[in-house]
Amino acid sequence: MNYWPGSRAHNHHAEDEFKQPDLSKFHVEPGTINLEVWIWSSGFDKVVSLFEAAYPNIKIKVGNYGNDTYPKARTAFKAGTGAPDVLQVEYMMLPSFIATGGLRELSDLGGGSLQSYYVPWAWRQVSPDSKRVYSVPGDSGAVGLMYNKKIFDQYQIEVPKTWDDYAAVAEKLYKASNGKVKIGNFTATNGDWFSGLVWAAGGRFFDVKGDSVKQSLNGPVVEKVLTFWANLIKKGYVSTYAYMTPDFWNALGRGEVASGVEAVWGTGFYSSFLPAEKGDWRVAPLPEWEGNKPLVSGNWGGSSYAVTTQSKYPKAAALFCYWLNTSKQAISIYWETQSAFPTDKYANAIPELHKLDQKPADFYGGQDVFAEYSKISQGISPDWTWVPWWSYISDAFAKRVAALISGNATPKQVLDDWQQDSIEHAKNEGFDVSN
Amino acid sequence: MRKGYGTTYLLVGPFLMAFALFYILPVLSAIYLSLFIKRRSLTGRSVDVFGGFANYARAFSDQDFLHSLSNVISFCAVVIPISIGAAIILALMLDEASGRIVKAGRTLLMLPYTIPVAIGSLLWGYLYSRNVSPIDFVIDHLHLPKVDFLAPNLLVGAIANVVIWAWTGYNLVGIYTALQGIPRDLYEAAKIDGAGRFAVIRHIKLPLVMPAVRVVLLFAVIGTSQIFGEPFILRSLGYVPENITPNLYIYWIAQRDANYSYSAALAVILAVIVFAITLLMFRRPVKKS
Repeated sequence: MNYWPGSRAHNHHAEDEFKQPDLSKFHVEPGTINLEVWIWSSGFDKVVSLFEAAYPNIKIKVGNYGNDTYPKARTAFKAGTGAPDVLQVEYMMLPSFIATGGLRELSDLGGGSLQSYYVPWAWRQVSPDSKRVYSVPGDSGAVGLMYNKKIFDQYQIEVPKTWDDYAAVAEKLYKASNGKVKIGNFTATNGDWFSGLVWAAGGRFFDVKGDSVKQSLNGPVVEKVLTFWANLIKKGYVSTYAYMTPDFWNALGRGEVASGVEAVWGTGFYSSFLPAEKGDWRVAPLPEWEGNKPLVSGNWGGSSYAVTTQSKYPKAAALFCYWLNTSKQAISIYWETQSAFPTDKYANAIPELHKLDQKPADFYGGQDVFAEYSKISQGISPDWTWVPWWSYISDAFAKRVAALISGNATPKQVLDDWQQDSIEHAKNEGFDVSN
Repeated sequence: MRKGYGTTYLLVGPFLMAFALFYILPVLSAIYLSLFIKRRSLTGRSVDVFGGFANYARAFSDQDFLHSLSNVISFCAVVIPISIGAAIILALMLDEASGRIVKAGRTLLMLPYTIPVAIGSLLWGYLYSRNVSPIDFVIDHLHLPKVDFLAPNLLVGAIANVVIWAWTGYNLVGIYTALQGIPRDLYEAAKIDGAGRFAVIRHIKLPLVMPAVRVVLLFAVIGTSQIFGEPFILRSLGYVPENITPNLYIYWIAQRDANYSYSAALAVILAVIVFAITLLMFRRPVKKS
C-alpha cells in the first residue's frame, strides 16, 4: 500500500478572478423539458428559480426525501423506473451508486471539459480513472477546527497548530476546569468524520486497480490517528457524543466542549443550533501532524450531482448540474442559504461569499469563514478514493469504536477487527477485495 | 349437504383475495427473492444470479445477525416478565376495584399504547439524553454522576423500557377482559366456603385467566422479536447499533446495501424461528380449565 507521501505536490492556489464556463455550448433537447431533481438539502427553491429564469424552456421539480433519498434511488435503479433526472450523491456514496449502473456517464456530454474549473481532489472523486465522468462536483466538506474563542480566552489557551499542541491544550483545559470542559469531541459514531482525519494525516484506505480493490483500514497512519484520540478519550479530555444529537449541541451550548473538528458545512449547523453562542466561535485550520509545513486537510461529506441513466433529457440534466456548480449565482445562493462551500476553484473570487455581516460569518464574530476554508481546502489531497461498500465500513466503525470507548479493545484490535469485518462483508456482497 | 358454502365463499372471497395478494404473494416472492445472490463489478450494474441457499448459509455465520437474535432473548427476558407480570397485577387490581377508578384506570393504563411509536420513542429518548433529561438534571443536582441511558450497556434496557411502557396497557386489556368474563357465582361459592380475597385470586382468578395470559404471552413474544420502531427512532438521539434487533438489521441491509435478496433470506429465517416458537407454545390447545 502506498500512502500519499508527505510532500505537498498537490497544493493549488485559490484563483484571483472568477471564471465561468461558457454554458451556451451545451445544447439541450428541443422543446419544453421537465426535470426531476432529488436533493436533500433544504432551501433549494431559490436555486431552482434562478435556473428556470436563465433557461425558460426547462422546468425543475424538486424531490426532497431527506434520509430516504438513497434507498429510494437504489430501489428505482433496481426497478428500472422511477429514478429522477438528477440525483445528489455524496462523494463517499458515489462508488456504490456507480456500481448500480444507474448513473449516466458524462464524458460524451462535455463533462470532461469542466475539469479545469474544479479543485483537483473533487475532480478525482467524480472521475476516478480521469476518463469517465460519473458526476459533477458540488460542495465540499473541507475539515477544519472550530473553536470557542470565549472559552479559549477564559482559560488562556492558544489555538493548537499541531496535534501535540492539541493534546497539551486538552490537558491544560481539563485540569484548569476541574474536568468540566473538554477540548473537543471524538465523533465515535461517524466513520466519515474519522476518514476525514485519516485523509488529512496522509493515510489512505483503498487502492483501486480496475475491478479489484486493496483495502487497508488498519495501516500505520490510521493507527496513529486512532491511538492519538484513544489516549485523549481514556484520560477524559474529549467527549464522545454522537454527532448532531441534542446531547451534543447541549454540551457545546453549555461550554462543556471547547472545539470541534468540523467540515465547512458545519458552519451552517453551528450557527443554527447555537444561536446563544453567536460571536463566540471561530474557525481555524486543522492541527498538523508535523509543524511548519503547508496546510493539510481532509474532506468529510460534500456532495456531487449526477445524471441518471433513466433520464429522458440527459443533456438538459447535465446542463443543470454544470450550471449549479460553476455559475456565480448558484454558488452564491447555495453558500448563503446552505453554507454549501463550492469545489469550484474560482469561487473564492466572488465577493458575495465574503460578506461578514451575514450567516455564517456573523456567527463567527465577523470572521471571513469562506476565505478560511478556502485556505484549508487547498490542503486536501486528491489521492483518496472510496468503495461501494463504504456504508458498511462506516457502520462497522461505530460498532468497533464502541468497544474502544468502553475500554474493551485497543486501537490496534479495533482497526484489525474493522478491517476483517469489512473485507468479509465486501466479499459476501460479491466484490473483489483483498488485504 | 354443502348448503350455504357458496354464500360463505362469496362473502369471504374479497378478503381472501386481498389476503393472498398483499400477504401470501409477497411472502412467496420474498422466499423466491432470497435464493439469489449478487455478482458485482465496481463500475456496472450488479447482476443477480441464482445462489440457492447461499444467503441462508451466510446468515448462519453472520455475527451481526446472530447477535441481533441473541438480543431478542435479552429483550424477552426483560420485557415479558415485567410487562405481563405488571399487566396481571394491574388487571387484578382493576378487577377488585369498582366505580370511577375502574374507568379512569383503564384509560390511563391504555394511554401509552395509543401514543404512536415514533412519538413515544422520542419522548423517552429525550428523557434518556444525558444533557437534556430532567432525570439526569435531578441526578446531577444530587451530586451524583449523570447516567447515559443510551450507553451500550444500558441500551437494551432503555429500549425494553419503552416497549414495556407501551404494551403493558395492551396486555392488561386482554387479561382484564378475561377476568371480567369469570362467572360471578364462582366468587359467591368461594365466599360461602370462607375463602378470603387472596385465596380467591390464587385459586379462582389466576387459574381461570391463564388461557388469556397464554395468548397475551404469545403476542408478546412475537412482538418482542419484531421490535423495530423504538430503536429506529432512538438512532437520532444516540448510538444504536443497526443490529440491535433483527428487524432493524433486516431493514438496514435492504436500505444500506440494497441487497434485497439477503434481506429477504434474513426475514424468512426470523419468520421461521418465530413460527417455531409459536408452535411450541401452543402445542396444547387453549382450553378453559
